[in-house]
Amino acid sequence: MKNIVQERDEYVNRLNQNIKLGAPRRITVNEVLALKNLNKSYREADGNRLEVIQIKQFELAAGDQIALVGASGSGKSTLLNLIAGILLPDAGAVCVNGTDITQLPEARRDRFRAGNIGYVFQSFNLLQGFTALENVQLGQMFSGGGNGGRAAQLLEAVGLKNRLHHKPRELSVGEQQRVAIARALVNAPSLVLADEPTGSLDEKNGAAVLELLRQVCTEGRHTLLMVTHDPAVMRHFDRVVKLEELR
Amino acid sequence: MNLFKIVTKNMRQRALATTLTGVSVALAVALTVAIVHIKRGMQQRFEQSTLGYEMVVGAKGSPLQLVLNTVFNLDISPGNIPWSLVEKLQADKRVKSAVPFSVGDNYHGFRIVGTTDAFGETFGYKLAEGRWFTCSIDALRDAFKEALEHSHERIAKEKGEEPAKPATHHHNAAEAVIGATVAKETGLRVGQTFIAAHGVEVSANAEEHTDNPWTVTGILAPTGTAVDRGLYINLDSFYHIEGHEVRDTGKPEEKDNDPDPGQVSAVALKLRSPIHAFPIYREINDGEEAMAAFPAVEIRKLFAIVGNIDRILLAQAILIGLVAGVAIAVSIYNSMSERRREIAILRALGARRGTIFAIVVLEAVAICAVGAMVGVAGGHLIVVAANAALRQVSGFTVAPLTLEVAELWVVAGSVVLGALAGIGPAWRAYRTEVAENLAPTS
Repeated sequence: MKNIVQERDEYVNRLNQNIKLGAPRRITVNEVLALKNLNKSYREADGNRLEVIQIKQFELAAGDQIALVGASGSGKSTLLNLIAGILLPDAGAVCVNGTDITQLPEARRDRFRAGNIGYVFQSFNLLQGFTALENVQLGQMFSGGGNGGRAAQLLEAVGLKNRLHHKPRELSVGEQQRVAIARALVNAPSLVLADEPTGSLDEKNGAAVLELLRQVCTEGRHTLLMVTHDPAVMRHFDRVVKLEELR
Repeated sequence: MNLFKIVTKNMRQRALATTLTGVSVALAVALTVAIVHIKRGMQQRFEQSTLGYEMVVGAKGSPLQLVLNTVFNLDISPGNIPWSLVEKLQADKRVKSAVPFSVGDNYHGFRIVGTTDAFGETFGYKLAEGRWFTCSIDALRDAFKEALEHSHERIAKEKGEEPAKPATHHHNAAEAVIGATVAKETGLRVGQTFIAAHGVEVSANAEEHTDNPWTVTGILAPTGTAVDRGLYINLDSFYHIEGHEVRDTGKPEEKDNDPDPGQVSAVALKLRSPIHAFPIYREINDGEEAMAAFPAVEIRKLFAIVGNIDRILLAQAILIGLVAGVAIAVSIYNSMSERRREIAILRALGARRGTIFAIVVLEAVAICAVGAMVGVAGGHLIVVAANAALRQVSGFTVAPLTLEVAELWVVAGSVVLGALAGIGPAWRAYRTEVAENLAPTS
């Protein structure tokens, strides 16, 4: 009987036979995301350095939807945090919409993230004291603009028209993740990062949320980079990248 | 959505800790406000009351007691001075006006003061309605003589002797001008009469002078001073009352031919020039029959003593405030462990470190500001509650709704305290690592 990792690898290999992957592309301002010579390591307790991320080159164009797969502990979440500017690499460039965010001062990087990158987490990361609408509005607040109307529209679009003023604990897990998707999209970011967004959901809810996320990204031409280890999720993507292949 | 909404949400989420720390700030502010308010209010009332009373002269003893009794209708009279001294002072060219006072009775706890019709004019007290009583020197001398005869009669009775037949005396009408507070609280109106009780304070056993009713001829306009709480009667009528003998020596026979006919409790002076103040003060105090005191000086001395007490109370209130500040800092600091993920989420959404710092400082400031505002209201409520006791002790009340500039400083100080209390927790929040804290901890 195949385990989930074997199943995943077979699926990715089969897919990659049909799709050209990783062909070198010039980093231009037309790229939504471009990573170049990216390195990230951590110092371990014994003093040695553990290389987590080593990426020579990786680009995503506007509207791309890609699943990024890798074994547990392979650095998938670290990579998303590097792309979001939450972590800084030891070396290399992370260009989002032509801006190398590693070169920005922290405050500008934060502002840039708010305006250009949407982030959907596995554990939703909604603020418990705020309603669904307020959680989405929080996403707008730090980008320095936006109006409350878009937050409500997005919540309607993800099927939560009647749940605007409910707090997270009053929502099902599926509904909570939909709120998180609406929050990630509220500033119309060019790049949406999703860290195993269906990981906390059952199969039915997971499929619905995934479909929703892909749909809204397609409609808004948002580039979607999703980290997953779930073959069922990978099947929804035309392009699946193994993290190991980016080295 | 804005920072204040986030701060409000955070405060609501920690409602118990927010309330408790806010209450401790409110307590400190309420105490401070009440102390400042009562001290300022009382000092103002006392200083207001001394205006016009340049010097008071009375029996030797405590100058503060003399001032409190003469100017503020408080405490008891330190004793009497001879009428001859009053006349001597009235004749002194350096003295513009010498107004005598005699005390010893009350009406419903309000002091009755025998004085002359020069009282109102000398100190500028205006009538709201009615007219002043009249009090001539001749009538006064006649009253003294009658009082002396009453004294002889009492002593003769005590010795078991037949008292001499008293002479017939003409009495002026017994009239009174009453203070605004007396009129308001007793309901006495012009034309009505009242009966005095013996003694300066209300007592169940006090003897009432039922055969000597006074008629109210006038009501004074409110002054905000002790005068509002006094009933002023013509001095001659004071000595028509049995028991108000002019001498208590028990040896009236020795004074039968005494040119000095009587005694009064005190005399208040207005001088023609301030340069005469110290010479007159020295002359009187060097003599043996009386003592002079400057009301303004005595009140300053009194408030210097009271000031020490109120500095101790203020120090306590400030200490409570500081403890409240520390409690706020500790409470928010401890909550940072639970809030690390929340902070990480906000940072991931694009909040800058400075924004997170500001949110935490604003939270501490908001607790202090709300606590301070509640405290200001509480302080005024304390003043309202304290007014009954203040009236009993001093005869004055403090207006509870007036705002002191010091109160604004107290609120501003509380806000600064909040900002300082918030710095430690805010620094901890500022340093929160985003990537490490995004995942749930349980």
